[in-house]
Amino acid sequence: MSKSKMVKISDISKDSDKLTSVAVEDLMPLPGDFEDKEWDEIPEETREQYACILDDVNILQIPLPKTTKEEEELVNKFINGMRKLFTKEDNWTFLTLLETTMEYCAKCNTCSDSCHLFEASGENEMYRPNYRTEIFRRIYKKYVKEEPLSKWRNGDVDLNWRTVARIGELAYRCNICRRCAQTCPIGADNALVAREIRKIFSQEMGIATPELHKSGSMLQLQYGSSTKMNKLIVRDNIDFIDEDFSEETGYEFKTPWDVEGADILLIHNAGEIMAWPENIAAFSIIFQAAGISWTLSSDLAAYDSINYGVFYDDVQFARTAILQAQAATRLGVKKIVLGECGHAHKALTVIADRVLPEPLKIPRESCFPILRDIVMSGKIKFDPERNNFPVTLHDPCNITRLMGIIKPQRDIVKKLCPQFREMNPHGPFNYCCGGGSGYAIMSRNNIPEWRFKITGRKKLSQILDAFSDCRGSEMKKYVCAPCSNCKGQIRDIFKRYDLFEKEQLAYGGLVELIVNAMVDVNPGYIKWGEEY
Amino acid sequence: MPQVEFNGETFSIDEDGFIDDYSNWSEGWVQYVKKVEGIEELNDEHHLVIAMLREYYEKNGIAPMVRVLSKVTKFKLKHIYELFPSGPGKGACKMAGLPKPTGCV
Repeated sequence: MSKSKMVKISDISKDSDKLTSVAVEDLMPLPGDFEDKEWDEIPEETREQYACILDDVNILQIPLPKTTKEEEELVNKFINGMRKLFTKEDNWTFLTLLETTMEYCAKCNTCSDSCHLFEASGENEMYRPNYRTEIFRRIYKKYVKEEPLSKWRNGDVDLNWRTVARIGELAYRCNICRRCAQTCPIGADNALVAREIRKIFSQEMGIATPELHKSGSMLQLQYGSSTKMNKLIVRDNIDFIDEDFSEETGYEFKTPWDVEGADILLIHNAGEIMAWPENIAAFSIIFQAAGISWTLSSDLAAYDSINYGVFYDDVQFARTAILQAQAATRLGVKKIVLGECGHAHKALTVIADRVLPEPLKIPRESCFPILRDIVMSGKIKFDPERNNFPVTLHDPCNITRLMGIIKPQRDIVKKLCPQFREMNPHGPFNYCCGGGSGYAIMSRNNIPEWRFKITGRKKLSQILDAFSDCRGSEMKKYVCAPCSNCKGQIRDIFKRYDLFEKEQLAYGGLVELIVNAMVDVNPGYIKWGEEY
Repeated sequence: MPQVEFNGETFSIDEDGFIDDYSNWSEGWVQYVKKVEGIEELNDEHHLVIAMLREYYEKNGIAPMVRVLSKVTKFKLKHIYELFPSGPGKGACKMAGLPKPTGCV
């Protein structure tokens, strides 16, 4: 083991430059011939402005304190935020689970083996799920809970500005996939700790990543979508999609807007409209063909299911969820259905229960069971031969591990895709795409390297293994990844290693596979090699 | 904000390498992005994409859907990647002086 991997708990407060670096030779090997290079340096301007003292990357922009007073302020604000985090008045979402994680961890480190970051990094101590949690736990016991003799009972930690800056940055070394929480015999949730540290920084210290906050949830609340599409532009874009895909598919369809009393309010991730309109069109075609009573809403934030607050901030989270639920009650729909977006599932179907007031708690559910019912109902005629190419299925963590929606999407692909094969492991035991918790939309400085070398490595390896019988550029293969965030990550990592060409890989959602097999639609809905 | 100097002009850029302000865009910026993106030669097709992006942005305040860009220019997405190796968002929008597209795109 190289020396740089041997990070100790006490290092966190050390007066030094970065604590570790993942060497290329330590990276988990990929199946095949893949070349990685050493890390690009973080630019000098960034290092002068922000605390870059953890590893090779800078994700959270914590202003570098310039004076002793600023150093003290950083520590005090953090502790203050931490105190609030452990009161039910100030923590609206996960207090019980957080306390369980603080009190009952047996430090068995079973969680480490489940973490794809730990594995991909060549088992670097820094990325053990419990490394971050253990430091946070020691701070909590000593400074917040003030347990007598805490440093002897629980282990000591030196709390200075570097500890705070490093723990903040370290909160962004986790995909929040919760595979570690799943494997923990006690149910301690290290991913939650990462998320809650992010929350302290955002809510108490005003420090959040620009992609999630300034260009994310703030745009969502101001314009109605993190893409900055306002109501007029989104209507215009959907009109274009309706016309363009009606022409291409030979199937005339019209996406309904603001239909009062419809059964279903469908909310897409608006990123799909901008980057993957074939997903939007496919939903409209399927729902129309199946005679579903449904609508989109043009209300603020109700045509974009994203809710980045899930990743870092309860207040931003609640603001967004309330707008989406209000739009549904205004239209008087029976339920909200979420399109192919994992974190939106977690946001509106699961966590929203903790923040929505009773009158806004209308039923909210995933699109997958409905799609399964449509495909199985016989209302639409399919020709599975049209999908006769190797297909594998990626399980978005928030839909599968968190919500347990495993079978509906499999019923569909098993019926429509003769060459379907599972990844190993899959379903609730899946691995994250590597874009989880917001990385998929981050490309600042050398963040893409972090996504490609570390967080996305396990998923890439799984995808290639699923196609081990048909590797190479001879045969077209499809990775079904029914989540916008996952698609963004998979697209970028395929591009990075040139796999569109070398492996003839295509990626896309579930609804595209359904429409590709529809007899009433012109053949060839799915395009290979970004050809449209 | 980091500054870059190129052929006697100075530009402020964000950490994704996008220009700080749409109105600071110039032909010099195009040449600078050509260099950082590793594009060998700029042809009429690059300029058509840039003109379309700028026109759409001035009208709507955001970048167009990728498919609208394809439709208007008649370039398939694959060809847009050939023109701009970093793609329509991180390559073409950058060269056209638009801010980095936001959200899950």
